[in-house]
Amino acid sequence: MAATTRGRLLSYALTGWTAVVLAFLWVPLVFIVALSVAENASTLFPFEGLTLAHYRATLADEELLRSVANSFSIATLAAAAATAVGVPGSVALVRYDFPLSGAFRVAVVLPMVVPGVVLGIGLLIYLRTVLDVTPGFVPTVLTHAVYGLPFVVLLVSARLAAFDESLEEAARDLGASPLEAFRDVTLPAVAPAVAAGFLFAWIRSFEEFVRAYFVSGTTDVLTTTMYAMLAYGTAPRLNVIATLVLLVLAVVLAVAMNVGDVVGAVTAGE
Amino acid sequence: MAGADADANGTRTPESGALQRIFGSRRTRLAALLAPSGGLLVALLLAPLSFMVALSFARIGDAYEIIWEPSAANYAALFDGTPFWTTPFFQSLTLSIGVAAATTLVCLVTAFPVAYALARRERGRRIVLFLVLLPFFTMYLVRVYSWYLLFGEGGVLNDLAALLGVGPVGAFDFGIPAIVVGLAHAQFPYMLLTLYAGIDAVDFELVEAARDLGASRVAVFRDVLWPLTLPNVVAGSLFVFVPAFGAFVAPQFLSGSTVLMVGQLIAGRVESYNIASASAAATFVVVLVAVAFGVAVRYARLGASAGGEQ
Repeated sequence: MAATTRGRLLSYALTGWTAVVLAFLWVPLVFIVALSVAENASTLFPFEGLTLAHYRATLADEELLRSVANSFSIATLAAAAATAVGVPGSVALVRYDFPLSGAFRVAVVLPMVVPGVVLGIGLLIYLRTVLDVTPGFVPTVLTHAVYGLPFVVLLVSARLAAFDESLEEAARDLGASPLEAFRDVTLPAVAPAVAAGFLFAWIRSFEEFVRAYFVSGTTDVLTTTMYAMLAYGTAPRLNVIATLVLLVLAVVLAVAMNVGDVVGAVTAGE
Repeated sequence: MAGADADANGTRTPESGALQRIFGSRRTRLAALLAPSGGLLVALLLAPLSFMVALSFARIGDAYEIIWEPSAANYAALFDGTPFWTTPFFQSLTLSIGVAAATTLVCLVTAFPVAYALARRERGRRIVLFLVLLPFFTMYLVRVYSWYLLFGEGGVLNDLAALLGVGPVGAFDFGIPAIVVGLAHAQFPYMLLTLYAGIDAVDFELVEAARDLGASRVAVFRDVLWPLTLPNVVAGSLFVFVPAFGAFVAPQFLSGSTVLMVGQLIAGRVESYNIASASAAATFVVVLVAVAFGVAVRYARLGASAGGEQ
């Protein structure tokens, strides 16, 4: 009897603890959303009333909107590039035995492991002194493509490894070319992983700051613009942008969780 | 020659007549598959990192030109102090290790019960996961900014404490506790989801068997659950420790300029054009991370990070 009482208490404690942890995770989000409509955009105390002025100011801030557009383009191009090179790379990794495959495997994971400051600075020095390239839009796209690559390769190669290769062989036996067999049989099977990889690489690029800080040069992306705003104190418009991004993400995440295994994607992706 | 390669790679097909041709096409196919990602990695990851390592052995002249006279002077300078642990680099390094370790511990202790609840309960699981993932996908810079407004002398937490009559709380000022909170918040989901995957895979009949045989809850945790989930604990810790160790944004906002983590130190040296010294520090950090990773990976269950290997 005592044991079941203790079990029930433990169960309540687990529920309570989960609630506390979730509350902790949500504190910054709720805070930012609240500030986005607060008259005084830097603190809740003293609370001075609600306003939509920050939203109007944000939507009128062309520079800020341009940086959002830049981030959007960079994320899309970088994620597309990471996917375009990552899927063939995954196929090579899973299907072929080749010399240095171990080194390739390590190199693919490296962008995730090397601290952002180190890679950002390394790239900046390298671009400037070796390649004589000015930091800007294209270097940022390529840097983020490298950053997104591990997510694509880890997700896609896991899915490929679980895929029954004999299905593709059957298609080959029935007369399909290697490319056709891959496109019509294997690709549809690994498509969810490809999509998850693209999405991850996209989000990672969109919110990435440190690398962009060093390689984006005069191209303002959302995060570097935000950082510059913060250097001059508080930024009411930052709260607004963050709230809007949060709303979009909530919808995307809800859809993604209903379509695919997001949790698996996160644990596999890191 | 192609035949020799074929043997070396163990690529044999029954139709030995067509072997040469098939292998030839197989090899070109492999090259075509590898070239794009390999090229990208070499050009924008390995080359810059290699250059950085090379630079760490070079010297910067008065006109900011690079003088290639190989020496370990930049490394020696990192530890050049009396005694050596008073040097800024060593201080930053140990601080970063301490902060990363604290962050990892906080995440582990807070996440384990939640992961257990998630794995053991069907009800509400999707909602909890959604509530964990949404903050996780929210922009990191925004989350750090939010903690920046919450902490500090005039921050919301201290205002709240003042309203409650507790007076200013030291832990709510900028500094190491604030950095740990910011980093723990950022990295928590990695720990949680990695642990969840591990606990979910545990055969709970083992746990029940141990309980039926009279083992206490503590004993079951210590002797069954913990050993079975240890690979995930190691993996999750790695996902928290490594980014926390190399963090730049969180300490930049939350340190209140009282402390300097190693990522900030490196960035600072680049900004003062001390790129050889920055390269040495960065190389040191990367080697340290690589060693930690290499050691931990032997014990970790990295999910698909094993890239399709079992």
